[in-house]
Amino acid sequence: MEIYEADVAIIGAGGAGLRAAIAVAETDPALRIALISKVYPMRSHTVAAEGGSAAVTRPDDKLDYHFNDTVDGGDWLCEQDVVEYFVAQCPEEMVQLEHWGCPWSRKPDGHVNVRAFGGMKVERTWFAADKTGFHMLHTLFQTSIKYPSIRRFDEHFCVDLVTADGRVQGVAVIEIRTGQFTLIKSKAVIIATGGAGRVFRENTNGGIVTGDGMALAYRHGVALRDMEFMQYHPTCMPGTGLLFTEACRGEGGFLLNKDGYRYLQDYGLGPAEDKPRNKYMELGPRDRLSQAFWYEQKKGRTLDGPHGTYIQLDMRHLGEARLRERLPQIYEMAEIFMGIDPAKQPIPVRPAVHYTMGGILVDGHCATPLPGLYAVGECSSVGIHGANRLGSNSLAELCVFGKVAGGEAARFAKSVPAGETKVLLKQASATQQRTEQLVNRSDGSERIATLRTEMAQSMEDGCGIYRLADSMQATCDKLGELRQRFKNVNIEDKSSVWNSNWLSAIELGYQLEVAQAMVHSAISRKESRGAHQRLDGFEARDDANYLKHSLAYYNGDAAPRIAYGPVKITKSQPGVRAYGAAGEKAEHDRKAAGH
Amino acid sequence: MPNTENTIMMDVLRYRPEQDAKPVLQTYRVPFSEDMSVLQGLQYIKDFLDGTLSFRWSCRMAICGSCGMMIDGKPALACKTFLRDFVPGRVRVEALAHFPIERDLVIVMDDFIGKLESIKPYIIEKQPRPLTQGEYLQTPSERDLYEQFSSCINCMLCYAACPQYGLNPKFLGPGIIALLHRYNLDSRDCGEEQRMPLVNSEDGVFNCTAVGYCSEVCPKLVDPANAVNVNKANSAKDYFLRFVTPRGGGK
Amino acid sequence: MTVPVSSGRRPYTRSMQGWWRRNTFYIEYMIHEGTAVFVAAYALVLLVGLVRLSQGQAAWDAWLQALRSPLSIVFHVITLVAISYHTWTWFHIMPRTLPPILIKGKRMSAAAITRSGLAASAILSIILFVLVWGLWT
Repeated sequence: MEIYEADVAIIGAGGAGLRAAIAVAETDPALRIALISKVYPMRSHTVAAEGGSAAVTRPDDKLDYHFNDTVDGGDWLCEQDVVEYFVAQCPEEMVQLEHWGCPWSRKPDGHVNVRAFGGMKVERTWFAADKTGFHMLHTLFQTSIKYPSIRRFDEHFCVDLVTADGRVQGVAVIEIRTGQFTLIKSKAVIIATGGAGRVFRENTNGGIVTGDGMALAYRHGVALRDMEFMQYHPTCMPGTGLLFTEACRGEGGFLLNKDGYRYLQDYGLGPAEDKPRNKYMELGPRDRLSQAFWYEQKKGRTLDGPHGTYIQLDMRHLGEARLRERLPQIYEMAEIFMGIDPAKQPIPVRPAVHYTMGGILVDGHCATPLPGLYAVGECSSVGIHGANRLGSNSLAELCVFGKVAGGEAARFAKSVPAGETKVLLKQASATQQRTEQLVNRSDGSERIATLRTEMAQSMEDGCGIYRLADSMQATCDKLGELRQRFKNVNIEDKSSVWNSNWLSAIELGYQLEVAQAMVHSAISRKESRGAHQRLDGFEARDDANYLKHSLAYYNGDAAPRIAYGPVKITKSQPGVRAYGAAGEKAEHDRKAAGH
Repeated sequence: MPNTENTIMMDVLRYRPEQDAKPVLQTYRVPFSEDMSVLQGLQYIKDFLDGTLSFRWSCRMAICGSCGMMIDGKPALACKTFLRDFVPGRVRVEALAHFPIERDLVIVMDDFIGKLESIKPYIIEKQPRPLTQGEYLQTPSERDLYEQFSSCINCMLCYAACPQYGLNPKFLGPGIIALLHRYNLDSRDCGEEQRMPLVNSEDGVFNCTAVGYCSEVCPKLVDPANAVNVNKANSAKDYFLRFVTPRGGGK
Repeated sequence: MTVPVSSGRRPYTRSMQGWWRRNTFYIEYMIHEGTAVFVAAYALVLLVGLVRLSQGQAAWDAWLQALRSPLSIVFHVITLVAISYHTWTWFHIMPRTLPPILIKGKRMSAAAITRSGLAASAILSIILFVLVWGLWT
């Protein structure tokens, strides 16, 4: 097997991975960086993010406001010291991206423009038309080319970490186009592999978002934290699940039920006004909006379509000119995929799974409990999103913590010696054998697509917007069954060159384990908080018993072991999450009480 | 679920280097519904008919650039091309033209990546600007100058469209020249002179004979033909100004 | 591109033979590029005319006479059609070759550029025709 020696290996070349790579290169140009990705970097799912990236910018905005919006939005499950750090770094990181060429949308005077976003008190979302993730990713990728110390391993699929002396010392990868294995020895490893939304049936995610890195860390004993919190984005295309950005609502779009009524005012988000108002109505947080949809559906006030029920995103009043200028991509999507002109017709939308709030347990420095192993981006749980993420905090997270992870990994790599190749090679060879066995066997009986579809349907049933103990249990049982059946998975393609059948099977293995962590964490949390809402006697938030993070530990073939860890509270005591007029009153009361 | 009474025949060009001497067409009957894309058709084949079919895809919304292919002889994104536009006929799917086929619908894109890296696709600042000084000021009209060229998703449909690239793979090509142009036009950048040798070179802009098919197929309306042809004038200007202004200066 | 022998890779390069026949866009391209030959041919005719003019009245009259032959008429009709098509396609491609043209802060669309070019071409042609006709009669 080929062996490559690096100082820092980064798995995943999306926004977080690229930012981390640049940070390592800037920390010390002598460090050898291996940037590994199963797709070419510009295909990473960061590219699909649309709305924007948050940073306190306006003179009437304060870091405290961003902090409070985030902690409230997270239903107090955030690590508040980490959030404080985060909000303070966002502005600098956005300026850094701008210096690197990111084409932020501008005000007439040439300064960067900011827009309103869900759950944010003051406009602070930097945006690049409605393709912010695309522009950020391309800016980071193209900028990374400046640094000769970054060696990319494009289309290399990571199958395992290698460890020795109680620390991570490298990764084993498959070069997709040859099917051959390489051991990348490395003194520090950063996982930046993104979320796991593909375990659900309807989702906004690309095909590659399969929780790979989460599974790798998990299998090596690192806990997956807060996995029960999956974000349903309220406005997605029925059927495909493709995303219609929150910015549609930031620009003033309305959500209407089948009576043409702006129903969100019935759910504590009102009163309804003509112009968008921060934290009111359509600019409420995503979990609340998705939950409102669920109730409207139950009341029979949603419309019926070929891909299920839906409500309407009405942007006709914005006019074609403004729509084409501010939301060109979604305009095109509506036209081409749905045959709808948003200036003349409302767009059918429904919630779909969008973001994984939880992930690999890391501290505020992106370090996992396993020395030498770091995690950053959607795959990690650094503590800023809590039980529900605010839109535009995720793109900012990639930059702020990408820089942190890179810096920390670089420091660690310089402080430890290189590992013994013989020992690591033995592990990598065992991994190779195990992984090749998957494809070489001839007695497989289960179709990959069948297992995957059953998993995705079960996750939708058991871990939907509202959850019940018996359907969660059914999903727990189903996933246990699927993991057993997976042992008999059949891989038709026996070739070596670009065998995507083989890789899909490995990805399915990752997904089943991550899904299991999600549902077991969900059933164990006997309360409702943020994106985890129950209708089986646990409808209320229970701070006394559950102001804690869930921690899912890998348990081999058996179901994961769920434990709990404390939440760091500093400035913001758990309060009522209120939006709309109720929110203004709550804030007023809080100020009066001296908080 | 797709209506099984409605099906469409998909003819896919297969190529498995370890067993096929050369590419061969294989036909699949795929059930289809009104809103199904070619990509969804291929996914159906892979999921239920033939797991050995390999192709690149990810976002499903024409922004990642993975799924470029020849669909009925034209370069297109599979996720944005719909089966309903071919029914009741057949649809033929092949790997993107003018690139070597690695496997089935997967092409070798090393050349494209190498070229992307060669053009200094990053801001070359006039002088370093501390972060504390905040953002560069850039008016909406300054931004408008380069925005369309910054929208390239690297799908390479333009390379499949360009016969000059097909005939001479050393040609820098439409998409990469568009990216080069994007940086030259950005008010924050001053690297035009550093990028000029690539524009002027034997494999630069003068390989273009204004076929214009690249801009026709571009799914993001980048208009790479414009980037290439405008740089012919830039190149000529650069060549002649050479006799008037001193060169070098350690840049 | 070098491919290590030990891997199963064997990238396949497809032939470019007959590339221009694969697509109506390319076929049309070859046709309008082909009309450039007629532009050159007509330029040659005019050049010969110029030379004949310099050679005196007799040469000039002989040349004009040659232009009136049936073969020459046929050639000129075909050439006129070819050059008209050439002009039409030339102005359709022209927007691709120009940097943005701003009129009152708004970009001139490709269609507008083409229309302006064709209009200018038509107007100039009419003016020239009237001039020559006037000189002739």
